[in-house]
Amino acid sequence: MRRLPVYLLLDTSGSMRGEPIESVKVGLETMVATLRQDPFALESVWISIITFDREVKQIMPLTELENMQLPEIQTPESGPTHLGAALELLCRKVDAEVRMSTPEQKGDWMPLLFIMTDGKPSDLQKYNEMLPEIKKRHFGGIIACAAGAKSDVKPLGLLTDQVYSLDTTDSATFRQFFKWVSASVSTGNRSIGATDELLLPPPPPEVHTVI
Amino acid sequence: MDWNTILQELGIDDTRRADFLDKYQDRIKEAILPLWDEFSNPAGEEKGDPADCRPEQEPAATVSEHREESAATVENTATVEKNNPNGKNMITGAGLPDDKAREKAKNEAFEAQIKGKYISFPNGKINREYTVPFDVETQLPDISEVEFIGLDRIGLQYDPETKQITGIPTQVGDHKIDMRCKRKDWTEGKPFIQKEITLYINADPKSLWKNIPTPADVEYYKPDSDKAFVKVESKQTKGFLGLGKKEMRRKDMIAASQRGRSHALEGKPRDDDFKLYFDEPAEWYVMAVADGAGSAKYSRKGSQIACQTVVEVCKAKLAEAGKVFEQQITEFQRNKSDENRKKTGDTLYGIIGTAAFQAKIEIEKEAAQKDSQGKMKAVKDFSSTLLIAICKKFDSGWFVGAFWVGDGGIGLYHQEPEFLKILGEPDGGEFAGQTRFITMPEVMQPKEIYRRLRFDVVDDFTALILMTDGVTDPKFETDANLNKIEKWHALWDDLKGKNEDNITVDFSDDSEQAADQLLKWLDFWSKGNHDDRTIAILF
Repeated sequence: MRRLPVYLLLDTSGSMRGEPIESVKVGLETMVATLRQDPFALESVWISIITFDREVKQIMPLTELENMQLPEIQTPESGPTHLGAALELLCRKVDAEVRMSTPEQKGDWMPLLFIMTDGKPSDLQKYNEMLPEIKKRHFGGIIACAAGAKSDVKPLGLLTDQVYSLDTTDSATFRQFFKWVSASVSTGNRSIGATDELLLPPPPPEVHTVI
Repeated sequence: MDWNTILQELGIDDTRRADFLDKYQDRIKEAILPLWDEFSNPAGEEKGDPADCRPEQEPAATVSEHREESAATVENTATVEKNNPNGKNMITGAGLPDDKAREKAKNEAFEAQIKGKYISFPNGKINREYTVPFDVETQLPDISEVEFIGLDRIGLQYDPETKQITGIPTQVGDHKIDMRCKRKDWTEGKPFIQKEITLYINADPKSLWKNIPTPADVEYYKPDSDKAFVKVESKQTKGFLGLGKKEMRRKDMIAASQRGRSHALEGKPRDDDFKLYFDEPAEWYVMAVADGAGSAKYSRKGSQIACQTVVEVCKAKLAEAGKVFEQQITEFQRNKSDENRKKTGDTLYGIIGTAAFQAKIEIEKEAAQKDSQGKMKAVKDFSSTLLIAICKKFDSGWFVGAFWVGDGGIGLYHQEPEFLKILGEPDGGEFAGQTRFITMPEVMQPKEIYRRLRFDVVDDFTALILMTDGVTDPKFETDANLNKIEKWHALWDDLKGKNEDNITVDFSDDSEQAADQLLKWLDFWSKGNHDDRTIAILF
């Protein structure tokens, strides 16, 4: 069976504490519920969640949508945004979890990566080191989302040309974002193949493209 | 000590917390002192550091098995349990000297403890039996009895005897189940402690698929399914001087193509295509199967052009090469020398190599046509794989020639005695869905075309089968399996009725209803495999 691995990298740095992270949780729940209504996603999608703040953790290993249960997400009181370290962990996990085609094994679909942050990488050097490594992993699509006024879209722009900024970090915008993630995952399911680019559904109105 | 957290646990209003602390400062101190004495006294049984009462979000000890296993999971999310397995702690009765209040505080603290635990049940599936052990006493030692409110609504029950949640879920969705517990020292009139647990019941993916017809006004519309049966009637052998004439059965061709569920769900057209042709005078069989790339906008047209072109070119080229080609084949059969192989190969290249190449040219022509806005289309948008086979019976055996670009498969299969020849190699990438297409310039190079040719002469065969990956993925799974004859035996048995749906394709001579059967057969269920499916068989 062909799996579609989906990696979610979520910012849990201090600034996400409180309403923003609660909104993310609600958004995640909606996303999972939506995907469960999509037969293709229900049969193919595997999700992993990595959180990053001072520490980087894979709070959920790559898990079949059918069996997954959203894990607890915590945010420390304060602390840096170690996105570089998160990418490093991501590469390790992708290497270990994503299956490549061999004569004896059916490869997975190219994995999808979604990154959500409300700041900028504090470990910029590591972040820059990881950029070529991420490229080597051949993601079917990388979609980055910079939420709130304090987020910086420039570093994300080095990772993917699909960077979107959300004005606020409230529940409505996150809900839109995750709705969009679900739609992308559903589409991504079916359209990867001849072209290298992932066909995305149009972004929701709350989301602005970075110039 | 984090007073705020403690007060929060006791349900004391956020905004008035400071006022409360100010006002009752003295009384709180009064209450704490006797407790401190009790604590300092070795006979005192209530021990613990109040600072530990703060329930952190950090999952700590896992009481039961991990969540991958099919059992309810209870994890402590509050550090308090580690030090205080009995759930008794210092805040009990703090500032509330009388018994009733003490009891209330005890209950509340206990409730906070239960609430701090992460309890989850494995997801269920609609109409699929659900059995999950939940032993309350080992999971939550302070609880004597537990009840789950809301389980029966979705067709489940908790049996305290067997300590299991069982049943057949009847409702899809996120179900909020109230776990109602009684403390060990519960007596009539004392409150229950409740905790909400989410139980997810998945839908059956089969029920979520929809079959939305492709809108007829879509550009390059084609029907959502197609089938064909090319009946090649038996003929009289010539005999000798009118003697020894007999009926000779001639093989028929059959094909079916079904839009995949993933396309049907969105009302998108079928990208696969096929075309069969039997040249009566020369008795050549021509088969073409193509799979338009899922991500290419007009691939349905690409696959259609490819199949059509192949038949047209083969028809013309076979007529052209005619006797010369047949002579070469006869010689090759007699002596499979390199020289003879090369001659036959070269002519075959001129026939099916040209057909494939011409298919690409025709696609390019189509793409170059300007639309109403004067715009041309990208050739890439017509990306398609292509499988070709030509076949003819000679007195001494069957000649089969093939060409293959992309995934899917062409196999020449004989059931008894066992024989299998895969006429090419599937083009796969590192990831699923990556393959090669005839529209790729690097594929349509002379050397590359030649490399993709295969031919052989065999005495007889059960079936020559061409399939797109919509069939090979579920039926063979891996490229390695495509070369295993057991898998072909299984496929043949499957076609002949050994399947869940009890659909039998009747492969007896001239049985035209077989095309309908084959189309129905293509609807087989395979988890995660919902691509367009096309199969063409010469038998």
